[in-house]
Amino acid sequence: MRKNPAFNRFFMALVFLFLYAPIFLLIVFSFNKGNSNIVWSGFSLDWYQKLFTDRLIMQSVYTTLLVSLLATAIATAAGTFAAIGFFSLRRRARSVLNTVNNIPMMNADIVTGVAMCLFFVAFFTFWSDFAAWFNGAQHFVELPTRLTLGFGTLLIAHVAFNIPYVILSVGPKLRQMDKNLVDAAMDLGCTWMQAFWKVILPEIKPGIVSGALTAFTMSVDDFIISYFTAGSSSSTLAMTIYGMTKKRVTPEINAISTLLFVTVLLLLVIVNVREARLERLGRREVRRSPRAEKVSQALSTPRGRLARRGAAAVLAAAFVVTVCLLTGATNAQPMVNVCSWGEYIDEELITQFEEETGIMVNYQTAESNETLYSLLKSGAGDYDVIVPSDYMISQLIEEDMLSELDYSNIPNFEKISDRFKNLPYDPENKYTVPYAWGTVGIIYNTAMVDEPITSWSAMFDTRYAGNVLMFRNSRDAMATALLYLGYSLNTTDESELREAFQLLADAKKNGVYQSFVMDEIYQKLEGGNAAIGAYYAGDYLTMLENNEDLAFVIPEEGSNWFMDAMCVLKDAPHKEEAEAWINFIASTEANLANMDYIWYASPNEEALEEYPAYYEELYGEELDPEIYEIMAAPQEVLDRCEAYLVLPAETRALYSTLWTELGI
Amino acid sequence: MSKELIRLRDLCMAYDNEPVLNNINLYINDKEFLTLLGPSGCGKTTTLRIIGGFATPTSGDVLFDGVRINDVPPYKRQINTVFQKYALFPHLNVFENIAFGLRMQRRPDPSDPTGKRTVKIPEDEIRERVMEMLEVISLKGFESRRPDALSGGQQQRVAIARALVNRPKVLLLDEPLGALDLKLRKDMQIELKRIQQQVGITFIYVTHDQEEALTMSDTIVVMDKGSIQQIGTPEDIYNEPKNAFVADFIGESNIIDGIMVRDNLVQMYGKQFPCLDGGFAENEPVDVVIRPEDIDIVPVEQGQLTGTVTNVTFKGMQYDIIVDFKGFKWLIQTTDHSPEGERIGIKIDPDGIHVMKKSQYSGMFGDYSSFSDEYDELDDASLEPVEEESGDEE
Repeated sequence: MRKNPAFNRFFMALVFLFLYAPIFLLIVFSFNKGNSNIVWSGFSLDWYQKLFTDRLIMQSVYTTLLVSLLATAIATAAGTFAAIGFFSLRRRARSVLNTVNNIPMMNADIVTGVAMCLFFVAFFTFWSDFAAWFNGAQHFVELPTRLTLGFGTLLIAHVAFNIPYVILSVGPKLRQMDKNLVDAAMDLGCTWMQAFWKVILPEIKPGIVSGALTAFTMSVDDFIISYFTAGSSSSTLAMTIYGMTKKRVTPEINAISTLLFVTVLLLLVIVNVREARLERLGRREVRRSPRAEKVSQALSTPRGRLARRGAAAVLAAAFVVTVCLLTGATNAQPMVNVCSWGEYIDEELITQFEEETGIMVNYQTAESNETLYSLLKSGAGDYDVIVPSDYMISQLIEEDMLSELDYSNIPNFEKISDRFKNLPYDPENKYTVPYAWGTVGIIYNTAMVDEPITSWSAMFDTRYAGNVLMFRNSRDAMATALLYLGYSLNTTDESELREAFQLLADAKKNGVYQSFVMDEIYQKLEGGNAAIGAYYAGDYLTMLENNEDLAFVIPEEGSNWFMDAMCVLKDAPHKEEAEAWINFIASTEANLANMDYIWYASPNEEALEEYPAYYEELYGEELDPEIYEIMAAPQEVLDRCEAYLVLPAETRALYSTLWTELGI
Repeated sequence: MSKELIRLRDLCMAYDNEPVLNNINLYINDKEFLTLLGPSGCGKTTTLRIIGGFATPTSGDVLFDGVRINDVPPYKRQINTVFQKYALFPHLNVFENIAFGLRMQRRPDPSDPTGKRTVKIPEDEIRERVMEMLEVISLKGFESRRPDALSGGQQQRVAIARALVNRPKVLLLDEPLGALDLKLRKDMQIELKRIQQQVGITFIYVTHDQEEALTMSDTIVVMDKGSIQQIGTPEDIYNEPKNAFVADFIGESNIIDGIMVRDNLVQMYGKQFPCLDGGFAENEPVDVVIRPEDIDIVPVEQGQLTGTVTNVTFKGMQYDIIVDFKGFKWLIQTTDHSPEGERIGIKIDPDGIHVMKKSQYSGMFGDYSSFSDEYDELDDASLEPVEEESGDEE
């Protein structure tokens, strides 16, 4: 091959662009004034400010730091001693163990995560039998019978995956060390322990420090393993960010991601600079600055040593106290574990509830109904209150996973509009209190489409070829076709479903669809990259802020409407607190706050009536009635809409076959 | 000379049932410079480690001043060690390296009448003693240097100072000069001997280098395969080797099968040679050692034996000549040049002939048929400074 520097340089630039452009874009838009990732509307630090007042994020930052620091400390100590143990073995045993040590690092995180989750759950089962037997056999000590995934398991998992990194970084330092150093120290009067502190430790310190830094970075960075081992009561930053991306992608995520990126980058820079410096030092005499010399002299005087020891003792004590307080605090206070969706609550409400009732709220988010379901089934989701959607509720009731509510503890249930009571998913209304509802419709760009859209036919119209965005999930996508054909959303008739599928398949073949999307729809519609797409009304209102040309319509054939409702899980450990929470959220004030925050409609009759006035008072301008109608569709529109019901297994199987056939 | 300080009694050592030392019996006198000499794997380092307390013998006793110290850990022995490759603490400067042992020491508090309380050595005494040591090793002014900023010879001297500052009764040195180049090694040999005489303590020195051993030692212990082959002064060992192994290991030797006809008469190649040895049975088969420098070249007709020169190497002070005597090749060192292919005669004085009893080593050494320049160099190179495996496996 000929050498072509210009070409090579261009190619290199391309590689770097490819690597860093996405991160660069993310960082830039974290400073965007608006809430779009496409449209630049001026520089601001609002999202950063919002970040630091966001309770969920701050709590997860705290969890992340705590788990990372503790895991790093434990893993560093354990890993260092393990490395020394490995080192003292014979060569063959050592190389076998080193390989064994490397496997967890090479292993896919998802496998480690799932394996740990299974292991913990299996252990808990064993433990509850053991504790029951133990408690029955004696009465002096009462062991807790029910253990759950939480901070403890998260910490154990992090310690476990951090140890190999420490061993990997301490091992070579031990091998480089002159084997006679320990003998020499013992020859000069040290016991083995003294030799360890005075000679081995200073020798391998660079390895220990890099190991600890790597471990810390890995801990802060980890998502997958945490996701499987944190259970419902703890959430790391990465998990929270992931949860947030599911509903609405706000620049707040950009801001927190930027901070995370910068933190990890800084750690990496520190590790590398240290290593480079140590390498340089290895070849040269150490020249310490006079100041450093003075400090070290001061520290090696008896008083300095005392001060150093004192400082270490204070640090250790502070550490122990923090850990005790943390574990103590969580146990003593009444609490409730809530699992909802990302960006689905005005977080002020959580603080308000805690202040009013003294009940601590542990607020978690799941990604979708299906994820929530699998979390519950695996035993990993240890929640009190969940907020599933209609069809999932009927499935949960069918499987006897929900607890009947004591409505005398929920007086605010009265305020729920009658039209939202006794809905098909809970016909006698024994299990649920509605949380929020909304509709699905067509969002289109009036600058790109000539005539107003009124029918679902637009989703299959070749005139708009290449400009239409379709749902990337089978239920919603099939629903658009079923609606256009005039069939029920919940049909189980195979010929009707096949007809709907054919409609989708033909449109796809004819190039109608630009792509099949979920949350990417924001970028595409806001940026004018596509003209038409089907999505949720509340999300349309968000998009409207960034692109005024967008319009929303509930087509004449009718549409899907959905209701998310609060339920309490069977055997929830905090049922009373759970009902207090539900009652609080069902109140008119809470519904108004939520409606303003999430732009989904409230089921509370008073809140629905009062919202326009509330809006005017808050923002000093009138709420456009058309907008409000989109947000909270009037009953006559709802009458044209249908909610999803849980489908029988064979229909679900057909959906899945057809969806595969469509080849998305 | 002086009183006995250390005694090794029936010392045996095995790793994984693999014997490393067999019945070592040895005593070491106070203020003696004793060298354990032998090839790699002979057990000399293991013996040293047992004396230092880094290894425990499988059986047998180590006595120090008459007291059994088998189970006394290294930090409680009045013995210090200079390790192979020095083992200086890289994170400490020269001063702190030397002061290390003193900082670890505690001694009875003079102000405590019961004598139970102990105190550390005061800082100014430490400083004084370290400075004194720096003077002994001629490294004054280097105290704030780090070990890696010192030359090999300087590191070596720091390692010695670090051990000596504790005023041990015995200093163990494990191939301390192995990593130095030839010139420096020669200088350090003299330096070590000087230091030993100056501080007046026992040195136990491990080496595979016979020249080093001959130069410095009061007593040499030649070891092979975990057993002591011979103990004696350098002169004894050189002049009266006990067996073929010792003869070969110390200096160059021609070792020939012979028969002791009677006292003071030995027969080789069917010819009889007068010698000074006696005490053998009549006609007992023996090994005969003849040092290359003890052979005179004479005209063929005057020779006790005649042979053909097969190889001549100029060595500066002398020629190394290989001569074939009926298929057995001898090494002769002489100042006279004899060209290759020439037939020569040789003459050996009675005091140049050393008769040894047959041993397990008979027939293994003393033949120069594979000799060449290259061989000679290889032989030097194979005296590698690598530590014996046994030390590794502990």
